[in-house]
Amino acid sequence: MSSAGVDAGPSRSVENSLVGDIWVNFKRWARKAIRNPTVVFLELFMAVFSLLMFTAVFGDVGTLAIERAGFEGVGYLPFVLPAAVVQVSMSSSLSSGLGLVEDLQTGMFEKVTVSPMRWTAVLAGKAAAELFRLVCYVFVIFGLGLAMGATVETGLVGLFGIALVCVLFALWYMALSNAVAVVTRDEETLDAVGNLLLFPLLFLSSAFLPVSSLPEAVQVVAMVNPVTYGVDAIRALVLGRDVLTVVEVTAFGGVSDTLVPALAVLCALDVVFGAVSVWLMGRATGSEVM
Amino acid sequence: MAKPKQQRGASEPDRAVAASTAAIRADGLRVTYADGTTAVQNVTLTVPRGEFFGFLGPNGAGKTTAVKVLATLLEPTEGGVIVNSHDATAAQTAVRETIGYMAQDVSVDEELTARENVAFACEAYGVPRGRRAERIEELLDLADLGDVADTPAGRFSGGMKKRLDAVTALVHDPDLVFLDEPTTGMDPKARNRLWDHFRRLNEAGTTIFLTTQYLEEADALCDRVAVLRDGRIAATGSPAELKRRVGGQILEVDVDGGRETAETAADLAREGTRFGPDATIETVDDTVRVTTTDAAERGTDYLLALHEAGIAVTGFDVDEPTLDDVFLAIADGRTDGFDVGDDGETGPGTSGGTR
Repeated sequence: MSSAGVDAGPSRSVENSLVGDIWVNFKRWARKAIRNPTVVFLELFMAVFSLLMFTAVFGDVGTLAIERAGFEGVGYLPFVLPAAVVQVSMSSSLSSGLGLVEDLQTGMFEKVTVSPMRWTAVLAGKAAAELFRLVCYVFVIFGLGLAMGATVETGLVGLFGIALVCVLFALWYMALSNAVAVVTRDEETLDAVGNLLLFPLLFLSSAFLPVSSLPEAVQVVAMVNPVTYGVDAIRALVLGRDVLTVVEVTAFGGVSDTLVPALAVLCALDVVFGAVSVWLMGRATGSEVM
Repeated sequence: MAKPKQQRGASEPDRAVAASTAAIRADGLRVTYADGTTAVQNVTLTVPRGEFFGFLGPNGAGKTTAVKVLATLLEPTEGGVIVNSHDATAAQTAVRETIGYMAQDVSVDEELTARENVAFACEAYGVPRGRRAERIEELLDLADLGDVADTPAGRFSGGMKKRLDAVTALVHDPDLVFLDEPTTGMDPKARNRLWDHFRRLNEAGTTIFLTTQYLEEADALCDRVAVLRDGRIAATGSPAELKRRVGGQILEVDVDGGRETAETAADLAREGTRFGPDATIETVDDTVRVTTTDAAERGTDYLLALHEAGIAVTGFDVDEPTLDDVFLAIADGRTDGFDVGDDGETGPGTSGGTR
């Protein structure tokens, strides 16, 4: 049977454009975030708590360690600020997968699938709302850091650049979180996977100490750890200098010697993880038959 | 929007016209999941526009899989589907613009209010901006949720969520609505309200495809039903036709004199060709029970015979079988005489072959 030669049947003029569909889904997920202030508070609190704890406990030791690694005259607070925003990027990206699990369990996923909205717009709208929330977190954490005496050497432009790096960093982790969500369809499993990854990824990277001051085995892991590239890109914008130690790049000069390779790595991760996640979700929307 | 409605008990020519403007035409559907399970096989059916069609079957019969294929949520392994004149595989968006779908489990966003849920559905289905506010109010009233429109759906009872879910499937005034076990788990009062709502919707011309495991629901609502067993259509017809075919009528005669007299009366019923060779005759205490296609017609002669034999009749009754009897007959594999073609075809005007 084919549609060819079939009588014209009832049809509707659908008002939605691609942007319209994205906006509809953006509003839905933004509203859900507003209705869940506890989640917003906890995500932000964990990152702020880490920032305060690390600067209070390791402030002096950390300052000595980073001085020895070549960061003379840099306080530990601006050095560790990038770790706090990368941490909040990871926890907020995990929530993205939890939202998908909820939709899968309540049937909203199916309901949205059977609507005429474009599937790409559904995903883009959800991601946009989650990334908007993340950008708000980044500004809150940096606001607190600035109030505590840190400075962003690249100024306001650099601050927006930091938000952009966080978005690029969050995208791959968000894709990973959604991929795990669609495979397991279970909140507890996803939560366990998220917690399992969070601390090893943060500690086996340049988040709290320069890579050169880490044990040799840890340095190997840090070189292939995406957190290192996210943190270094943000740190370069905070400190206004090249901080990337895992790859030696001198072709661009200054901050760009860190930003260009780090952003290239993050973009590649976004493409790979994004493709896997979209493929898995495509399967979940109806092609699981033989 | 008023649409042409297929009348209950429509004549064969009327049905033939309706078939040419079918809401659903499915041809040889087979769905085999990746794990090798075949949930639906050789399902062929036609649902004319305006019909209230029921898909009956026990849990695991393949109802939900079949309805997901028709609603574009699953692509069939084999076979084709035309919904509202659009190919359900090649033109999914065109199909989705013309259908409403209410899943078996309640699907509402519990963090959003009732109004926000309906508004989201309106936006998702492209209800024109100028009509949205009015449409939202209409549907909230229809769901009887006007007073709690600004309460998050998570605080609603199960029945309220079902009603909200139902109206979100109707925001774009679809020509065809799929209802997958819509009243499962509902209390009788809430279920009756939803039934009234579905009836009004169908009377306004909307084609309804209902899956249910409640026989009384199909009996109360559907113009025509198909019974699914092990992924195949085992029977089809109007509820009245199916009941007639499953076992005709049941004559119950109460006699004076207890069980022994009842046995004598039963022997009399078995004599000669009084009820034909297909009749089932049994006794329960002082009652003789005869099941056959024309029990009422032949019953008069039987009552006279009892009178002539000196057996006093204290009461008698002729009952029609229920859809439960249809269901049991199909479960037992007694599907001879049901309206299913050799190729599994079920549609208006189809007759003949059995399987």
